[in-house]
Parts: sequence; C-alpha cells; structure tokens
Amino acid sequence: MRIFLMQRWSAVALLVFLTLHMVVVHYPPGHIDVSRVLERLDNPLWKAIDIAFLVAVLTHALTGAYMVITDVQRFNVYKRALAWVGVVAGVLLFIYGTQTILAF
Amino acid sequence: MYRSTGFIAFVLRRLTGVALVIYLLLHMWVIGGINGGAETFNERMEFLGKPFFRLLEIGLLAAVVYHGVDGIRLLIGHYFQVTEYRRGLFYAVIVVSGILVIAGGVPILLFALE
Amino acid sequence: MATNGSVPTVTIRIQRFNPDVDKKPYLQEFQVKAPPGKTILDALHEIKEEQDGSVTFRRSCRHAICGSCAMNVNGKHMLVCDAPLREHLDRKGVLTLRPLAYLPIIKDLVVDRSSFWEQYQRVKPWLIPPENIPEKEFRMSPAEVAALRDAEHCIMCGACYSSCQVIALTKQYIGPHALLKAFLRVLDPRDSAPAARLADLDRGDGVYRCHTIFNCIDACPKGLNPTEAIETLRKLVIKRQAFEAARAERQRRLDQPIEVVGEAPALSGGE
Ligand code: HEM
Ligand code: SF4
Ligand code: FES
Repeated sequence: MRIFLMQRWSAVALLVFLTLHMVVVHYPPGHIDVSRVLERLDNPLWKAIDIAFLVAVLTHALTGAYMVITDVQRFNVYKRALAWVGVVAGVLLFIYGTQTILAF
Repeated sequence: MYRSTGFIAFVLRRLTGVALVIYLLLHMWVIGGINGGAETFNERMEFLGKPFFRLLEIGLLAAVVYHGVDGIRLLIGHYFQVTEYRRGLFYAVIVVSGILVIAGGVPILLFALE
Repeated sequence: MATNGSVPTVTIRIQRFNPDVDKKPYLQEFQVKAPPGKTILDALHEIKEEQDGSVTFRRSCRHAICGSCAMNVNGKHMLVCDAPLREHLDRKGVLTLRPLAYLPIIKDLVVDRSSFWEQYQRVKPWLIPPENIPEKEFRMSPAEVAALRDAEHCIMCGACYSSCQVIALTKQYIGPHALLKAFLRVLDPRDSAPAARLADLDRGDGVYRCHTIFNCIDACPKGLNPTEAIETLRKLVIKRQAFEAARAERQRRLDQPIEVVGEAPALSGGE
C-alpha cells in the first residue's frame, strides 16, 4: 500500500512540478547556459521548489522501477533487498541533486 | 498475449516510464556538472546542444507527455467509475498527447534546424 | 467460407499439443459445415467424433454456466458453448482456437488452472456470518442486493485471469477473479469479517498489483467488471476499520425491515 500510495502522490506532484519545469526552464527551447539557470535559482523560492520537485521525481522513479521489477515473479523474491537498494539510491541521489541545486 | 487498448497503454506506460528513469539519471549527471564548476556544466550542456540530441529531445518530450497524460487517465480511473469509456479514454490520451507533442516539438525542431 | 450447396464449410484451426510427443504447440486445420445456430463447441464435438478423436477440450454444461469451456477464439476469450460458429470467423473466414493464455497446457485446449483455484481459496470465498445469527431471515435493501448482483454472476471460467497481463508476469498476483469474489464478500451486509479480508488484500501481490489494464473486463464472457471491484477494494482497504465498525452496526438490524437506502456502486460496464 505504501509504495502504491507513494507512487500516486508523487504522480500528482509531478504533474504540477513537471509542467512548471517544462514551461519555465525549457520553453522556449534555446541554449541553456549557467547564467540563465543562475538568474532563476537566485531566488530561494525556486531552490525550494526544485528540491520538492527532486523529492517527488525520485520517489516516483524509484517506486516505479521497484514496481516494474517486482512485477516479474522471478525477481519478486528479492523484493526486500530491492526496496533497500531503492531507499539507499534515493538518499544518495537526493544528496547529489540537492548539492547541485544549492551550488547554483 | 491478450491484445487490447489497455494492453497497448500498459506497454507504452512501462516503456516510457523506464526510459524516463534512465533519462532522469543522465539529466541529473549533466546538471550536476555545476559541482565541477561552471566550465564542466557548460561543457556537458554544449555536448547536448548538438542537433542530434535536440532531435532526441522530441522523443523525450513525447515520452514525458504520453506518460503524464496516461497517468492522468489512471488517476481519473481511481476516483471515478469510467471503465465503460476505457477505449475512448485511451484514444483521448493519444490525441491529447499528440497535440501537446506537436505544440512542444515544433519549436524544438525549429531550434534544432537553426 | 466456402459454400457447399446451401450450408457453408469453414476452416477451424486448433492449437494442438500433446506433452508426451510434441516439443511445442502447433496448429491443425479442420473443415466443418457451418449451418446457422451451430456453436463452436458443437463443431469441436463434431471434429472429435468424426475427424480426430484425439482432439482434447473441456466442457460440461453447454449452457454457459459451468465455465469449463472458456478458450481463446481468434484472439478473444469466450465460452465456446455460447458462441455461434458463424459470428466469430475472422476476415478470411477462419476460426483459430487456442487454450486460455498464460497457463500451463495439459493437452490441446485444456490448461492447468491450479494457480487460479489456489488464489481463489486465498480470499476465503465463503460467507462468514455474524456470531449470534438471528433466527429470522436476513433483510437486505434493494441497493445492497444490486451492489452484489454483478459479482455474483461470476462462473469461475478463468477468462479474466488468463487475459490479465499481470498474471502473465507473475502467478503471485491474486488475480481479478479472486478480487471480484473478495469484493462480493466484503460488500455483503451479512459478512462479519470485512476488515480481515481487506487486510489480506493490502499486500504487494493483492489489490496493489493490478495495473488497470482492463483486459479482465474485455475478456469476461459474463460482462462483469473486476477492475471496478478492485478500485472499490483499494478504497476500502485504507478505511477498513471504519468499514468494519459500520458493518457491525448494520448487522444489529439484519432481521429488521430496511429503511436505509444507501447509494450502491454499480458494477456493470463490460460490453
Ligand atoms: C507528468 C507526471 C507523471 C505522472 C502523472 C505519472 C503517473 C504515473 C502513474 C499513475 C503510474 C502508475 C502506473 C501503474 O501503476 O501501472 C506511473 C508509473 C511510473 N512512472 Fe510515472 N508519471 C509521471 C512522470 C514520470 C517521470 C518523470 C518518470 C521518470 C523519472 C516516471 C516514471 C515512472 C515509472 C518508472 C513508472 C512505473 C511503470 C509502471 O508501473 O508501469 N513517471 N506514473
Ligand atoms: S469474472 Fe468473468 S471472466 Fe472472470 S472468472 Fe468470473 S465469469 Fe469468468
Ligand atoms: S460448457 Fe459450461 S460454460 Fe460452456
């Protein structure tokens, strides 16, 4: 249940964040260089939004990948190990991503 | 294999989902270039600026849009009794995604061909 | 359809497999007459009696109620005893019969449904009545009966189970048939253990393994809707304690005339 619900709420959050992200960051398409990102991320609110986005997307991606793998009977026996791999990967990626966002 | 619109939707959702996870890791690595200084960041960005990657981006856009719109369809299914319209909803997802991809893809294409 | 006099002849391709001799299944063609009103099961009987006695299939009631004759006809699951031969021909006028998918083949069109039945047992498909049963008849409101009516029509044919893409991936998933049965018991006002039933479904291989593919609705020969039942169960799983409390309250007046008319979820929607 926990994984299912995590995937749903993160899906809803992504719907909001991803739309925002596509419109603000990638539209109109153009060459992105540091200055353009720096300008936006100067605002702490944007930093907070990006970190929330990161949490949602990592939750969604990792629960999704976990679902895809554990759906297969042969791999389902490893579900405990896979869940831990997911948690660890999530924490590491969160640290790496947050570091990136704060570096700007 | 029991073929149906639901089956096609499921396969597309899985493929786009997995592709997006792989992309996400790549994306984080590229942006993470900033940790190595503005130089590294711009270098990695430059690399992705090639027209080839620009065109791949349209595929990426298609994957995100399809996956997202299909996700909305599933979320609707959780809260409303819409199984009767399952085929229509699937076609609606295809049409809506198609429109969004064209709307977003044309500017990318123009930019790539610049 | 080649016409022979007034009665056309059609080609039926049957997937054959005898585990003792064959390495893998193959298709064998037969020709049968197709007068109006003849069912696919009639044709199978004819082939077995007149052309090849080794053709193997299951059937019992011939009235679309035992569920044993479910198989795949030109890509769709159906009860062949209830399927007129002429109505299901493909564009070339051919019928291709295969066993139910994703299950081990015992011989020809007969599959091993043990996993189907094991999962069915898992939901305790029987009614668990309250402890102090009144010595009177139980009364249910029309809405309460209507909510159960569709789920009650399941004949355990296995068509939904063998069309489900998740079952194709894992037999650990409980399956649409078992969840539909669980729905039937959980929503029955006479059942006294909905919370325990729902707790058992609150697992990775229970109600959350469904990926809303809708194949079960497409496949069900009775036009039932396991997907909607699963969606209902998912909501009830979360609030099962409150649901059980309401059930206990409801059961205190099982023998009394009904004045409550709650809105019941309708479970139709298949075609
Ligand atoms: C627009 C926002 C998005 C929405 C509304 C959304 C919605 C959903 C939903 C509802 C599911 C559940 C499917 C199921 O249980 O069968 C799902 C699965 C999944 N999503 Fe997303 N998603 C979005 C964006 C993303 C992104 C950006 C990624 C990649 C990082 C992603 C990766 C996945 C994966 C890997 C799965 C598992 C595939 C599966 O279960 O079939 N999603 N998504
Ligand atoms: S729900 Fe329909 S398809 Fe599934 S076992 Fe029951 S009658 Fe057969
Ligand atoms: S023979 Fe009983 S359902 Fe077809």
